[in-house]
Amino acid sequence: MSWAAVVFTFALVDNVILSRLLGLETGDGARGGTRSVWLGGSIAVLMSVSAVAAWTLDSLLLVPLGLTMLRTPLLVFVVAGIALGFQALAARFLPAVLERSGVSIPRVGVNCVVLGLVLITTRAEYGALQSFLAGLAAGAGYLLASAMMGAIRERLEIEAVPPVLRGVPLQLITAGLMAYAFMAFDRGFLARLLGA
Amino acid sequence: MDTVSSRTREAPLVMLLLTLVPSIAVAVRVADALWLAAGAVLVMTGSSVARAILDGARPAGTPETGTPAADGPGEEDRTARWLRALVISSLLTAAFEAGLLAVAPAASAALGIYAPLLAVNLLVAGKGGPDPSGASPLRATLSSLRNGAWFAGGLVAIALAREVLGAGTITLFPVSGFGGTITLSPLLDQPVRALGFAGGGLLCLGYLVAAVRAVLARKGSAAPRAEASR
Repeated sequence: MSWAAVVFTFALVDNVILSRLLGLETGDGARGGTRSVWLGGSIAVLMSVSAVAAWTLDSLLLVPLGLTMLRTPLLVFVVAGIALGFQALAARFLPAVLERSGVSIPRVGVNCVVLGLVLITTRAEYGALQSFLAGLAAGAGYLLASAMMGAIRERLEIEAVPPVLRGVPLQLITAGLMAYAFMAFDRGFLARLLGA
Repeated sequence: MDTVSSRTREAPLVMLLLTLVPSIAVAVRVADALWLAAGAVLVMTGSSVARAILDGARPAGTPETGTPAADGPGEEDRTARWLRALVISSLLTAAFEAGLLAVAPAASAALGIYAPLLAVNLLVAGKGGPDPSGASPLRATLSSLRNGAWFAGGLVAIALAREVLGAGTITLFPVSGFGGTITLSPLLDQPVRALGFAGGGLLCLGYLVAAVRAVLARKGSAAPRAEASR
């Protein structure tokens, strides 16, 4: 897969939120606003670095030694370790930014979206650079979907909606309808876009 | 309205149902949902029991990492607990994956990345089950089984709705004389194929959460009325 195809696939065609349904389980996926940008940025960086670390672990250790059954626990530890490392670095060098953003990096690390992306890239046997780009593109896709859902949520708050549908149910239904809309970005779209 | 504040006002059951989101991506056939539900119950219960046993192994009041217990759990203590839950949950998930691959390789392939994702998804659901701090292993088991049953019930209900309406079939496990698939003729001819996509899963979950909320609200308003009538 070409680099451009990797970017468009993970940002639009195979969007982590709307196609893979990752990242909504914590409720952070429908935020919108400045915090959404920080969250999307943190997730993009975490996913990129974790995907490269996972590629290194998988291709240099697990596959050569036939230890692929240990892939899940080891990838979970790698992602958690990287998240804790980023948290420590951010607390040391950017404490004000960390506090203002309100983002807990370890919590983001154990979000399904990071481990999910790492599992996708290792199972698809992507190279190091492809994995890195996939992480960045998936982060951009997360940010795009999250910002759009946040904007729709703000509009719906002033509408007359049955009380039982307010909040979480309406966010899920909105995400469902957006997932249908994103189906316009399919493999055919990608082929036409890249002239393949 | 902030998402987090709205979430904290939600009933725990609604919160538990929300953690179904990644799993509903593969809850298109009842059989796959049953496998994933079995894995979720196993990981949730095993993790909770293991943590209750490990907590019981420490003398009461003994801090894990030097933080005085009387002051409540400190940052280091919380991190240690979080890492311990992560280790237990991911090891149990790996065991489930290995077992599933040996017993039902087709189901393992169908579940894809969503079986290993149970390791972190159930942490979000409640740190690998209800926090067993101070609970006996038996109490932790019962509590996890109850939560696991809700998780499994929600997942299977969504898969059933999507498969019946979206494909006109109910896929179970083949046994002697039964091929494993029940066909529902009228729906088989004109299925609502849109329910088979990711968006269909989210729509089903959204309406399921709304239905649970309505039932909880009715129960909540019925209780004061019963009190007043006495």
